[in-house]
Amino acid sequence: MVNVTIDGKTIQVPEGTTVLRAAEQAGLKIPVLCDHPHLLPFGGCRLCVVEVEGMRTLQPSCSLPVSNNMVVRTNTEKVQAARKFILTLIFSDRNHFCPYCQVSGGDCELQNAALNLGMTHWEYQPNWKPYPVDASHEYLVIDHNRCILCRRCVRACGELVGNFTLGIEERGASSMLVCDVGVPFGESSCVACGTCSQVCPTGAIIDRRSAYQGLEKKTESTASICLGCSLGCGVNVLTRDNRLVRITGRWDAPVNAGVLCKLGRFLPLDEDRQRITTPLVRKDGKLQPATWDEALQAASLKLKPLAGKNGSGVAAIASPRLPVESLAAFKQLFKGGFRSDTVTTLEEGASTLAASALAAETGPFETDLSALEAADCVVVLGIDLAVEEQVLGFMVKRSLPSNTALVVIDAAENGFTPLARAALKPAAGAVNVALRGLSAAIRKLGLAKAGTNGKDAEAELKSAAEQSGILADQLVYAGGMIAKATRPVFIYGKNLNLADLKAAADLAALVGAGKNLIGARGAANSLAAAQLGLDQPFKRNGHQAVYVALGDDVPSQRLIQQLEGTPFLVVQAAYSSRLTAMADVVFPVEMWAETSGHYINIEGRVQGTAAALKPAAGVRSNLAALQAVAASVGLSAEADWQAALAERKAPVALALS
Amino acid sequence: MAKPKISSDWMCGCAGCHMSLLDIDERILTIAELTDIRATPITDLKEPDESGVDVGILEGGINNTANEEVAHRMRKRCKLLVALGDCAVFGGVPAMRNFFTIEEALRRAYVETESTDSEGKIPSDPELARMTRVRAIHEVVPVDIFLPGCPPDPDAIFYVLSELAQGRKPELKGDLLHWR
Repeated sequence: MVNVTIDGKTIQVPEGTTVLRAAEQAGLKIPVLCDHPHLLPFGGCRLCVVEVEGMRTLQPSCSLPVSNNMVVRTNTEKVQAARKFILTLIFSDRNHFCPYCQVSGGDCELQNAALNLGMTHWEYQPNWKPYPVDASHEYLVIDHNRCILCRRCVRACGELVGNFTLGIEERGASSMLVCDVGVPFGESSCVACGTCSQVCPTGAIIDRRSAYQGLEKKTESTASICLGCSLGCGVNVLTRDNRLVRITGRWDAPVNAGVLCKLGRFLPLDEDRQRITTPLVRKDGKLQPATWDEALQAASLKLKPLAGKNGSGVAAIASPRLPVESLAAFKQLFKGGFRSDTVTTLEEGASTLAASALAAETGPFETDLSALEAADCVVVLGIDLAVEEQVLGFMVKRSLPSNTALVVIDAAENGFTPLARAALKPAAGAVNVALRGLSAAIRKLGLAKAGTNGKDAEAELKSAAEQSGILADQLVYAGGMIAKATRPVFIYGKNLNLADLKAAADLAALVGAGKNLIGARGAANSLAAAQLGLDQPFKRNGHQAVYVALGDDVPSQRLIQQLEGTPFLVVQAAYSSRLTAMADVVFPVEMWAETSGHYINIEGRVQGTAAALKPAAGVRSNLAALQAVAASVGLSAEADWQAALAERKAPVALALS
Repeated sequence: MAKPKISSDWMCGCAGCHMSLLDIDERILTIAELTDIRATPITDLKEPDESGVDVGILEGGINNTANEEVAHRMRKRCKLLVALGDCAVFGGVPAMRNFFTIEEALRRAYVETESTDSEGKIPSDPELARMTRVRAIHEVVPVDIFLPGCPPDPDAIFYVLSELAQGRKPELKGDLLHWR
């Protein structure tokens, strides 16, 4: 610890702390532009200059580490004059026209800095040279006129997302933000995660969906979580007049720390399905609006006599996007109440069956996402992180520059292959063979940390190479890389069957990383659905009625085909679809932003969503709809979801209270 | 002490800043009591007294030779010059046209817009003022007080006027200072 005196206040901070962070700890606010708490110090804009006793010139506090007994003054006249001059130069560098900028009036850090310094005008005029505006991107616009070259976007793209699309070309006044080697933004390697727009201090990078829809102070922000996949990234849902404006990543969220992917940030804003706001009942062959009482009566009339009729009663299928409270009630109503033999989710266990089966044998075998921070080798198994669980992919990609070895093993095409140090593409169905081959290679190399090294490995390696279609040399190369790592982490996805997963777990144990597995699970509540046993295959067979708790999910083509000709179909859904058009009774329910409930993420973390929007009057929560149906047929949907989740051994420790 | 004389004029703006001035509502009576309001675009007298005024207020940027004349005349005849609003302070919305040539701007305005057609004529009477780049006032004449905002808040305008009326130089900060 070192002592530092800032504006007369002496505090102790750990060695290596920058003056800026030390000042924050002392409760002082130093204005910044290029600095961002989640990015490495850069020292580009110089707005944060301070006076340091004994130093000849003003010093940038963001990149100056404190030294013992340093005396710092953050707000002297000299400092203020320098800051005003710096802002004057920044304003004159390009063309900042506040009246027609979307962040002007509160959301612009540049403007705010000027106003806080009492600047009423610019000493020098703008550049007047028109800079290009790149509007080639589907979701984002770069206006170079407003760029102050702080490089926050460049650093976020590299440090947080690991994508390295954005960069700076040329030097000095010719410096320009570029995408890749100078291609239009829309044709670049950008993955549209939008993190650049979230860190941009000015209006230089704005997102097209929410631009000019209101300053942040005119919107309401609701802290919630994204339901796009099983990661459960923290989001702020910005709304105005009960309308969705923007979604931003929550910097304080434990899973994603501010970063989101396209799926979480932009796609929900493109929702164009038609909303269902009133119950519908089929009368004379046509779906017609009805009251909740009428719809419940119509449903119970047909459903009630089917209770207890195993195989010819009610089959039920729910979306794994529903909150766990709804899933538990769903299970209680249909499994407990109706005694149905077919109660499952739309995924039918696709992304969880293997993990649940292994967990039943061995207990928890997975770790949490923090393991990735320390990983020096990441093995990606049967999941394309460029498409699924993308933020998990960002975590992997951003670790690559610090020399983390990436190994991709997938029988299918994989977007991470070009980034991998070793990419193995086993024949279809031979992932487990390839993994056993890797284990054999490691034992052959004498690098096994558990179990036996040995000569018998040679024959095993040879046969694995033959069966998987991967060269033995490749297996040895990749195996050596995994075995030499001190903290390897294995990420697997739904393409792995139980045999594959067992082989992966054995490989992990062999290299002394027994529980360093992370399993991607598809949907927001797939793990919860698996824990509740809602993971069986769905077959309509002789069931006389089917109940679909669809929520705001999209029904698959396959499900629609299976349900064609169902004698009696009840759907609770937020949006109209081909499935609701087939139904006999439709109950209108909430979509994700209207829902408050709990979700169990990839690492067993229990997180809550908060309702950011108010649904229309006739719309009920998924849970309330299930409870109303239960009451109408004289059954119960009451369930203790925490207890229900714990009934089955989970692949990862669940953080239940 | 004689009441300070105030005069105002507008140039390349939208008159919105003067509307915002009127938006100080009944407080304008206080200003009228404390000051001698002379030539303004909304009073009968059209030019500031040749004998001079204490405070000159200009709205709008400078986009042609006529504006230049107005700015020079006001500067010559006032002791303190106030730049009122974003156009006066920065160039404002009209300055967007600086990204194009004057010919392009004229063609767009008189020929290409949805309400004109190819028969539209760009005015070319030699008596018309000659267009220039749009400039903030302080690029043409020195400005003493900058009152930004699009338009400036009535409270900010009242604060500046009342300070000047009482012989003090206003210092805008906090809630009163904003640009758009």
